[in-house]
Amino acid sequence: MSLRQIFAQHPERRYIMFGGKGGLGKTTFSAATAYWLASQGHKVLVFSVDPQASLSDIFQRDIFGKGPVQIMSNLWAQEIDADQHIKAYQQEIRQKILDMYGFDQIPDEIEQYIQAASAEPAMEESAIFDAVVDIVVEGSYDYYIYDLVPLGHALYYLSMAKVYDEWITKITKLREEMREYEEMVARLKREKETEEDRILAELQYIRKRINTSSRILTDKQKTAFFFVLVPEEMILIDTRKAADLFAKFDVPISGYVVNRVVPRELLSQNIPPYLRHRIEMQDRYLREIDRLFGAQVVAQVPELERDVTGLPMIERLAGIMYGD
Amino acid sequence: MSESTLPKKKSFWKNLQEILYGMASHDMSRYALRTRASMEHLFILITMGDMIGIPILPPYYSLRLLPYVVPQIATWKRRLLREKDVSDAMF
Repeated sequence: MSLRQIFAQHPERRYIMFGGKGGLGKTTFSAATAYWLASQGHKVLVFSVDPQASLSDIFQRDIFGKGPVQIMSNLWAQEIDADQHIKAYQQEIRQKILDMYGFDQIPDEIEQYIQAASAEPAMEESAIFDAVVDIVVEGSYDYYIYDLVPLGHALYYLSMAKVYDEWITKITKLREEMREYEEMVARLKREKETEEDRILAELQYIRKRINTSSRILTDKQKTAFFFVLVPEEMILIDTRKAADLFAKFDVPISGYVVNRVVPRELLSQNIPPYLRHRIEMQDRYLREIDRLFGAQVVAQVPELERDVTGLPMIERLAGIMYGD
Repeated sequence: MSESTLPKKKSFWKNLQEILYGMASHDMSRYALRTRASMEHLFILITMGDMIGIPILPPYYSLRLLPYVVPQIATWKRRLLREKDVSDAMF
């Protein structure tokens, strides 16, 4: 099946992701797919949360941290600045504390905690996926193309999401139990408590956010996840491992795209042994890829004579991928 | 008429009931409050644990809860770090 057929047969798959090791062409394929879908008349947002995002580079526009920027008709691109997102979030928490208690400034130990919390490694993943929920939930695009952070992050987040969900279930139970005591005392003393409800409400909100963000990655109906790989041994081994792990977390894998295939036709020309060996090596791994993934390989993209930047080049690549 | 006399008769029992309930519930409410306070501290521990070096919850989301527990943080820390003695069992 080709990429084009997949999109034609599954118009409900609106969250499109290209995953794979760094530097294999995830961003390039995201941009080309976004371009192709937009040129078919769909409203498309291609977005990235990678701090080293390269959407700016590929579209040759500085879009980092600027919200959705229109690239052409029907096509928007967005690069999320995770740092900025975390800073704004911290500020929101501080303001809430100041408003709730009428403080002039945040008490020292609270401020220290806010800063320490933000230095934790899990902070960034959570912030990123939380930002993605905002984008996907409120947006009005036909397609969301998610230029994914390297695989490890996504897997890490998915496993975190499972743990968080269980954790919040437990903590909600504790909170509800606390509420029973609270209500008992309130009944005896004829008092009314409201704070409790707010924490419970927050917990429920948090759970909803976590579930929504992990669902974006695992929704079998709406998500199409493509692995990007190149015909080389290490990449092949890694991709298989990652595919197994992703399957474990129920990420629906829609297919594999093989990138950087040196055109075989060159063999009939007078080419240096260096290139001949490369082609032969790739041949070997292409057969291996065919054996492993077979019909799941949805596209083979040749090594181009130059890098893909700027709309004309993106258009050309989209033509190759979607066979226009 | 009988409707207004009937409640009066009942109100004696009701009063008695309330007195008994009040006598019993004083202890109950004290106990409930204590349990409630322990739970509150347990809750803060499992949400803000990393404040005293026990990382438990994803910090991104524990920050959301932070504003609500600000007033309890000081007592929570004091209670956790306090040394236990016999009088703890008495109250």
